[in-house]
Amino acid sequence: MLVFAASDKGGTGRSVTSSNVAYRRALAGDDVCYLDFDFGSPTAAAVFDVPGASRGVAAGGLHSHLQGRHTEPHRIDVWAESEHEELRYRPTGSGRLVLVPGDRDGGEFAIGKDTVRRCVNLFLQLESEFDVVVVDLSAGRSYAVDMVLEATAQPELARVLSRWLVFHRWTHQHVIAAHGLVFGERGIVAGGVERGHDKGALRDSIRFVRAAVPDPESPLWAHVPLAQSEWMRKCDRDLTELAAELDLGYARLLGKIPLEPVLQWREQLITDEDVLASKVAGMPTRQALEELAAALVDEEAWERQ
Amino acid sequence: MTPPDPGPQTVLCGEVRTSVLRTSEALTARTATQLLNLRPDEHVLLSERPNLRVVSPHQLTGVDCRLPALTGGRPRAVGTVAVRAVLTEGRVLQTSAFARLVPGVGSHRKPWGHYLLRPGDIEPLARHQARDVVEGFLASAPLPGGVLNPGSIAERLLDEVLRHQLLDQRAPFKSGRTRLRWTALPAAEGAQASIERFTVAADGLRTVALRTPSADPSAVAALCEDLALHDWLLTTLLALVERSRLGSGDGEAVLAALRPLVDHLLHLWMPGARVPDALAGVWETLERRPGFSRQWQSLVQRIRDQVALRTVPLSRPVMARS
Ligand SMILES: Nc1ncnc2c1ncn2[C@@H]1O[C@H](COP(=O)(O)OP(=O)(O)OP(=O)(O)O)[C@@H](O)[C@H]1O
Ligand SMILES: [Mg+2]
Repeated sequence: MLVFAASDKGGTGRSVTSSNVAYRRALAGDDVCYLDFDFGSPTAAAVFDVPGASRGVAAGGLHSHLQGRHTEPHRIDVWAESEHEELRYRPTGSGRLVLVPGDRDGGEFAIGKDTVRRCVNLFLQLESEFDVVVVDLSAGRSYAVDMVLEATAQPELARVLSRWLVFHRWTHQHVIAAHGLVFGERGIVAGGVERGHDKGALRDSIRFVRAAVPDPESPLWAHVPLAQSEWMRKCDRDLTELAAELDLGYARLLGKIPLEPVLQWREQLITDEDVLASKVAGMPTRQALEELAAALVDEEAWERQ
Repeated sequence: MTPPDPGPQTVLCGEVRTSVLRTSEALTARTATQLLNLRPDEHVLLSERPNLRVVSPHQLTGVDCRLPALTGGRPRAVGTVAVRAVLTEGRVLQTSAFARLVPGVGSHRKPWGHYLLRPGDIEPLARHQARDVVEGFLASAPLPGGVLNPGSIAERLLDEVLRHQLLDQRAPFKSGRTRLRWTALPAAEGAQASIERFTVAADGLRTVALRTPSADPSAVAALCEDLALHDWLLTTLLALVERSRLGSGDGEAVLAALRPLVDHLLHLWMPGARVPDALAGVWETLERRPGFSRQWQSLVQRIRDQVALRTVPLSRPVMARS
């Protein structure tokens, strides 16, 4: 399965959340590969705590591979190379977790026929090796999004299952922006149709994920004044209504990750150690990430319309 | 004391990529022939004994490159690399690129017509040590840009064949590709073919250094394809057995994971079946140690036991619930 992680705006939580989902799928036993297609700022490796690759690798990364400068993009075995205490040993029953990093000085590049061909080859190869291939795309209607839409429109990828996760924050502007990215005139659906995708099928392969959602009931806000608490509840209700109107509501919602103080401080994976032993991260965050990872492969969640 | 310079020697070198064919059903001889019909002007080779093996015509890629070298400079060399695709039992696809570095040194680059008359030959344009080229070629790091790289030629052909419209892109199980890089130097007068090393680097690259009496690149490449095929089979089976969590509680899941192996892989093991006598010694060495077939047989036995154990219904209702 190919999973494309997109967002309209930068800094929404796309990389951190999708990395955590990849990690949780691997814990559940899937072989997982994570591709850093954020050509502008390839920083996914930082989340996995891989030394030397936190801003992409010096050579052999994805950008130069797609431009035909080498045939084998560099792979990082996260279980073997991560410096994170909890990741250094592969838990029994878990699957592989492989990161394919970007190039340090990547930047965007023009997409020609050859780039698309290489992208198709890469997806086909990784899909035949891994259960789940997560592709972290740069924000907005970027080159990366265009290339992926073009690649998945090719006949060779027609039978490969592709799913999209669109991440957004839980604010008025972010909800509207996420709607635009998917359904807008220059959105993913329109862009896909232009390239030969079936409109209905593409639309139904897209789900939204709300990241860093403040929960008015959370103990974090237990001591705020009543008026403020009331106000938060009202905002939450208004946003829920707006999301439903814009077709970002229940049917198209795949997960909701609470605002997590640990993630506000640091881009990282939330391990069970963080939640159960040192208790620095909240149980609800772990729960939400686990549910999102399960929903990703739950056919029922993808049949809702 | 350094050993005496053996003088100019022929070096054969190449790289094999091995992958499952991404199709739900193994291809028949007919469709396999269509798949590998890379050049309309030349025939696909097909043989059905002892198993189905289909070989594409060779393609040539012109190269004007540097030779790899561990210590010395990297001499320039010009010529062509041959590449072909091989499909075994309609299920495992290999691409194999190889060349012969001719002994002796040309002084300047000749017109392409000269090289096309010598398909698969590469002519160095400066002095070099055969040993040094071998070591440089087998060093596990990715070969630097501009250096002779049969692997990338094989990789391109592999991707091309794997995208063919005959394939439904649904492999019966998940598996990776393997890369095997090889060299062959001439064996001593009257000596048999032998293997000097077989290593697996951290990045998965297999390297094989051979000594062969025959300097027929195609025959030596075929031996290496056979090694690569069986190495891939063993690697893939090991990975799939590990994934299936053999011995864990969930019988149905284990069976579902093992079934495709029984259907698609177990019958493919036939080491050395097509290797000519002159090269057979290499397999004999590998069978002694590390003992590929021993490891394969024991894995196969485990799989068969598990499948039998989990499919045979119990004759008595001993599974009373507690
Ligand atoms: N659930 C959360 N709670 C609190 N902070 C979060 C949460 N998820 C992500 N963050 C934080 O938000 C910031 C942006 O997240 P991230 O880097 O994942 O976003 P992004 O969408 O990938 O951004 P970019 O477009 O710059 O790549 C990070 O500092 C991250 O730690
Ligand atoms: Mg990011």
